[in-house]
Amino acid sequence: MFINSVILVLQEIIEAALLISVLLVFTNLFQKSWDKSFVLQTSWVGISIAIGVVGAAMYSYYTPQISEMFDYVGQEIFNASIHLLSLLLVCLFAFLVPSARLAKDVMGRAKFAAFCMTGIVMLAIVREGSEIIQYIGGIAGHEDNFTPVVLGGFIGAGIGVSTGVLLFYGLINLSVNWSFRISVGLLSLIAGNMGSQAVLLLTQADWLPFTPIAWNSSSALPENSIAGHLMYALVGYEATPSILQVSIYLLGIVLIVISPLFRKSWPLQHSLVGET
Amino acid sequence: MRSIRLFLVASILAALILFNFVAALQGYQSSMREADTLFDNQMLDLARLVSNLDLSNASTRDLRLGNNLAFQIWSESQLLAASHNAPALPLQNFAPGFEYVNFEGYRWRTFTRYEVPLDRWVIVAERTDLRFVLAENVVLQSILPLLLGIPFVGLLIWIIVSHGLRPLQQLSDALRNKGANDLSPILSANSRIELDQVVESINGFIQRLDRVMEREKRFSADAAHELRTPMSALKIQLHNLSEEMDTKHESFQQLQEGVDRMQHLIEQLLSLYRATPEQFINNCETVDLYAITQDQLASSYPYFEVKEQNVELIGSSIEIEADKFALETLISNLLGNANKYTPRDGSIVVSIDDLGDEVCLKVEDNGPGIPEAEKSRVFDRFYRVAGSDGSSRPPGCGLGLTIVSHVADLHQARVEVKDSSFESGSAFCVYFKKKP
Amino acid sequence: MKAVVHSASTSRKNREMKKYLLTPLKTLSAVAVLCFAIAAWAATPEIELIIKDHLFFPAILEIPAGQKVRVRIINQDPTPEEFESFELNREKLVIGNGQTVIFIGPLEPGEYPFFGEFYPKTAQGVVIVK
Repeated sequence: MFINSVILVLQEIIEAALLISVLLVFTNLFQKSWDKSFVLQTSWVGISIAIGVVGAAMYSYYTPQISEMFDYVGQEIFNASIHLLSLLLVCLFAFLVPSARLAKDVMGRAKFAAFCMTGIVMLAIVREGSEIIQYIGGIAGHEDNFTPVVLGGFIGAGIGVSTGVLLFYGLINLSVNWSFRISVGLLSLIAGNMGSQAVLLLTQADWLPFTPIAWNSSSALPENSIAGHLMYALVGYEATPSILQVSIYLLGIVLIVISPLFRKSWPLQHSLVGET
Repeated sequence: MRSIRLFLVASILAALILFNFVAALQGYQSSMREADTLFDNQMLDLARLVSNLDLSNASTRDLRLGNNLAFQIWSESQLLAASHNAPALPLQNFAPGFEYVNFEGYRWRTFTRYEVPLDRWVIVAERTDLRFVLAENVVLQSILPLLLGIPFVGLLIWIIVSHGLRPLQQLSDALRNKGANDLSPILSANSRIELDQVVESINGFIQRLDRVMEREKRFSADAAHELRTPMSALKIQLHNLSEEMDTKHESFQQLQEGVDRMQHLIEQLLSLYRATPEQFINNCETVDLYAITQDQLASSYPYFEVKEQNVELIGSSIEIEADKFALETLISNLLGNANKYTPRDGSIVVSIDDLGDEVCLKVEDNGPGIPEAEKSRVFDRFYRVAGSDGSSRPPGCGLGLTIVSHVADLHQARVEVKDSSFESGSAFCVYFKKKP
Repeated sequence: MKAVVHSASTSRKNREMKKYLLTPLKTLSAVAVLCFAIAAWAATPEIELIIKDHLFFPAILEIPAGQKVRVRIINQDPTPEEFESFELNREKLVIGNGQTVIFIGPLEPGEYPFFGEFYPKTAQGVVIVK
C-alpha cells in the first residue's frame, strides 16, 4: 500500500509543483526585468491553490455523475477539456503577455498574466487534486490501510514539493537570460504534454481515431521504473505514444516556439532580455 | 523583494526532505525485496515439508494451515491431499517454480514442486495481501520518525538561519536608527568575517562625509565671520562718505542698499551655522511660544507698517522646550518672509494651536503663494521663489527658510508648506513637540 | 477463467438509444471522426471486466489482433479502483460500486499486463492479443 501511495501522490504533486515553479519563475522575472512598474504579486499562487483545492473536492464529489456522462467516458472528456483549456491559457500567456499591445497598458498586462497563471495552476490542481482525494478517500478509510497510505502520501508530497522548491530556487539563481530561456523551454514541454494527454484521453474515450504507436521504448526506459515515472512527471514521457499524440506534443512545442515569449527569450538582435 | 532567510530555510529543508525521503524509499524497497526472498524461502521449506508427508496417516491428510497458506498434493491428475481452503482443481499448471493465481477471492503466490521419489506434484500457496503486511509495518515504523521529525527540523533550520542572519539584522538596525545628522562610525562589537568589509566601507563613507560636511560648515561660518569686520569698515566708510558727499545721487543709494543686503546675508549665514546640536542641548529651556511670537511681531512691526499690511496673532500662552535665541530667529525669518512676499495692503495671520501632543505655529498670508512644484525646494539654500510675473522678486538672500528648517530640525520639529486659508497665498506650519 | 469476446448485439439497442441523447458538443466533435466511427461503432465488440475483492475477473482477457474492443469495467467493491496499464497506455478511475468504459486496441499480438493502481498487490491481469 505504502509504495503505491508514494508513487500516486508523487506523480500528481510533482506535476503541479513543477508547473507552479516555472510560473513563479516567470513572476519573478517580470518583477526583475520586464518593466519597473510591472508589479506582479505572488499572491496569485495562494489564490489559485485555494480555488484549485475547492475545485478538486467538488470534482471528486461529482465524479460518479461525471463518469456516467457520454456513455461512461465523461471523465475522459472532462479531463481532456481541462488539459485543452490549460493549453489555451498557456498559449494566451505566451502570445499576449509579451505583445506590444499590452506593453502600453502595464497594469493590464500584469493582471492578464496573473489571470492566465491563476487559471493554469487552478486547473492543474483540480485535476491532480481530485485524483489524490479519490485515492486517499477511497483507500485510507479502511483501517489497515490508513497508516501506510497516509505515510506514503506525505512522503510522496514531500518529494514532489521539495523538487519544485529546488527547481524554483535553481532557476531564479541563474542569470536572468538563462532563467528565462529554460523556463520558456519547460513551458513548451508543459504545453506539448497538455495536448498529448488530451489526445490520449480522447482516444481512450473513442472520440478520436486510433493511430498506430510512434515508437516503443519500453525496453530502454520502462514507464513503471523510477526514471520512467520521473520522466513522465517532467516531460510527460510515454513508452508507447501514438502518432497523433506525438504530433500534438510537437504542435504544443511549436506553438510556444513561435510565440513572442520565446522570441523575447532568444532575441534576434543582440539585446538584453527584458527590455521593452 | 527576495528574502535570504526564506531562500535558505526553504532550499535547505527541501534538499533535506528530498534526500531523506528518497533514501527512505530506497530503504523500503530493499527491505521489501529481502522480505520477499525470505517469504519465498519459507514457501520452499513448506513445499519440501509437505511433499514428504506420510499420506497413509489420516490425520496428516486433513492438515490445517493458517488462513494465509494453502497446499495441494497431486499425483498425475489425482488430488492426494489438500489444505481445507484449497480448491478442487489444480492451482497451477504442473510446472516447477513460483507463480501467481487468483482463487477464494484472493491473489496467491504459488510454488510448484515435483517430488521425484514419490512421483508427486506439490503446490503451496500464500496470500499476497497478507504476505507483506507484517514486513511493511516493520519498515514503516522506521520511516515514521523521518516524517514526524520534519516540522522540528524545519523549526530548527529556521532558528539557525535567523540566528546566522542576526549580525546582518543588527547592522541594518544600527543604520536605520542613525539620526540624519549622526555621522559617528557604526560599532561592530560582534563582527563577522562576512560583514567586516561592509562595516568598514560604510564607516569609511561616513567618515569622509563627516569630514566634507565639517569642512563646508566651518568654511561658511569662518567666511561669514571674517567678512563681518571688513563689512563694518565698509559701512563706516560709507557713512563717512555720506557726510561729505551728495547723498541724493542714485548710484550712492544703490551702493548703500547693496551694502545693507550684504550685511543681512552675512548675519543670516552666521545665524544658520551658529545653531548647532551641541549648543542647542546647552541652551534648551522652557519658553512661552506665544510670548516670543508676540515679541517678534512687535519688533518687526515697522516692516508691516511700511507695506500697510494687516497682521493678526491668534492663540494663547503655551510652553515648549526650545533654544530661545534660535526660536526667535525662526519666527523672525517666517515673519520676514511673509512680509516680503505679501503685497501692500495684504493680510498675514499668525496662529498658535494646541494639537494635543504637538503645538503648531502657523504663519499664513494672502500673497501669490508657492507653485506646487516649488514647494519642496523652498527650504534649499539660496533658493528663491520667482514672483508671479517672474521679474518682481523681492530682495532677499534665500537663506531665511533654510534657517527655519535648520532650527526646526534642531527642535525635532516638522515644517510644512501648505496653501493658506485665504484665497491665495501660502501657509508655513511648524509643529513643535509639546513639553511632556 | 478465460473470457472470450462476445458479440455486443444485446447491448446495441441500448447504445442506439443513447446515441440520440448525445450532446451537440459530442456530435460536433464526432463529425471529424465520423468515417472511423460509423465503420467501427457497430463492429466494436464489448468485454466485461469485473473488480471484486480487489481482484480482476477474468484475470486474463483474450482479444483478437487488430480489433478495437470496448472494455466495460464493473467495480463491485465499495472502494474506487484505477485500471492502469503502461503497455496499453490506459488509465481510468472506476468509482466504488460503479462502472465505466474504456476502449483498447487495435493491438499487435502479444501480452499486455494491466493492474489496479489502488490495489496493485492483488488486482493484476493481462490482455492477451492473438
